[in-house]
Amino acid sequence: MSEATLPLRAAAPPRFSEDLVAVGLGLVVFLLALGSLAGADALGWLVTTSVWTNPSLALAPVSKAYANLGGAGSLLATYVVLTAVLSAAAYLLRDDVKRFAVAFTGVFVIAYASWFIGSWAYLAAVTRADQAKFGVSWSLKLTNEGGYIVALLAGLVIANAFPAFAERLRSAVRPELYIKIAIVILGAFIAVTMASKLTLASSLMLRGLAAIVEAYLIYWPIVYLIARKGFGFSREWAAPLASGVSICGVAAAIATGGAIRARPQVPILVSSLVVVFAVIEVLILPFIAQTFMSREPLVAAAWMGLAVKTDGAALAAGGITQSLIQAKTAAEGIAYQPGWMLTVTATVKVFIDVFIGVWAFILAYIWTNHINPRAGAQKARLGEIWERFPKFILGFVATFLITLALALGTTAGSSGQLTAAVGEANVLRVIFFVLTFFSIGVMSNFRQLWQEGFGKLAAVYLVSLFGFVVWVGFVISWLFFAGVKPPLAS
Amino acid sequence: MPKPDLREATSAYEPLLPIEKKLIGWSLGAGLALLALLVVVNHFVPLN
Repeated sequence: MSEATLPLRAAAPPRFSEDLVAVGLGLVVFLLALGSLAGADALGWLVTTSVWTNPSLALAPVSKAYANLGGAGSLLATYVVLTAVLSAAAYLLRDDVKRFAVAFTGVFVIAYASWFIGSWAYLAAVTRADQAKFGVSWSLKLTNEGGYIVALLAGLVIANAFPAFAERLRSAVRPELYIKIAIVILGAFIAVTMASKLTLASSLMLRGLAAIVEAYLIYWPIVYLIARKGFGFSREWAAPLASGVSICGVAAAIATGGAIRARPQVPILVSSLVVVFAVIEVLILPFIAQTFMSREPLVAAAWMGLAVKTDGAALAAGGITQSLIQAKTAAEGIAYQPGWMLTVTATVKVFIDVFIGVWAFILAYIWTNHINPRAGAQKARLGEIWERFPKFILGFVATFLITLALALGTTAGSSGQLTAAVGEANVLRVIFFVLTFFSIGVMSNFRQLWQEGFGKLAAVYLVSLFGFVVWVGFVISWLFFAGVKPPLAS
Repeated sequence: MPKPDLREATSAYEPLLPIEKKLIGWSLGAGLALLALLVVVNHFVPLN
């Protein structure tokens, strides 16, 4: 994912890029969480939602130190602080702060309400013991992360049935910003997870290389060829489309559009298609994975990273897959350590993201020197690699390395404190995931598919995605992850 | 700069240039070779 994002905001250039804002916010959350190691519980007031049948008992502050806030108080505090902090981010991005704050109120209320509904025992209770505990005779066994799906569906309904309302929410519908902040925080969570099994963790890194090869060197040329030869698309359209389908969706399409000097609207139109198909994938693939791959959880997790486009949708699909498979295996008496499946999905996705700058430079070089060498036109520069590098990855790497160093350097006692500290930050990561899901839903206007000419673009996407991206992704995930199980929960 | 229209995306056929064929061929060739190499490495350094 690059710094590029859908152009939903004012024309004036932002004071800081979205990536830098995301890194800044993610690092602030991370440092506040680490404060608890020094006795300062700065995030304990954040709201969490437990699986519930009695809604009045569902909400609570994450830390008992803030128990006097109560569930409603912690929800209000979370809303107020998030609104203030993200409004400051909107200022840095040169958005209309007042409009953002109003829109964010709507986004937060609906997104968190979705998360709350997703934690209803009839949706979330997993095992028979859970069902008995909550006094329900049946449940959909979605775990409380089914709330992501509820948020996505809520967004879809608003986008397609209430477009005027969706427009009013628009300035706070920023899935790229939310997921980037979440990914920076996720670095710490992954480090804590990996610290317990370093050998497995380092092996996962090697598999990340396979993801790069697959996305850039196998998917991309095939999709490009299909678009050019099979459907007769021009180069200006085929290249962003190939990147959108092959790499990481929206940002890759926009980075490629910039690299080949396409008109700005071309990658934007491609991006709107990417979002629609990512939603379809999120709603289908995790359930296929649960049905057919529960015995191979890491294959399923890697598959989500390789097959689902856009970082937000991929990580969300990884999270949902993790929940669904854990729910299924828990019912069979197998309890995996949480976090490993999401870690695999995130590793695959981050590895793919890192290479975008290099790929964009290669395309820029070919286009400006061989395909469209106009006199006086700006040639590809090596500096473009850095310009297009997704800077939020640096935040992810920072939180990952710092947390890993802390985890490896602590005693068993303080290790528990570190896990708890990162757990508090992870509450915010979950909230940003929910905001991402809801935002993706709101951006998915399916009526666009009926726009004249869009059908052919969608056909390329459909043929490529479900014709081979999904299947090749599965085969490669199988080659590298088959037979490997996440560690069992102690 | 004219605004793109989806109808024009496929209206005039642009034949594949030799450089595009090279890009596709080299990418696929390198991808398959690297993938084979990684499968071999995966065999000798399996995930545990």
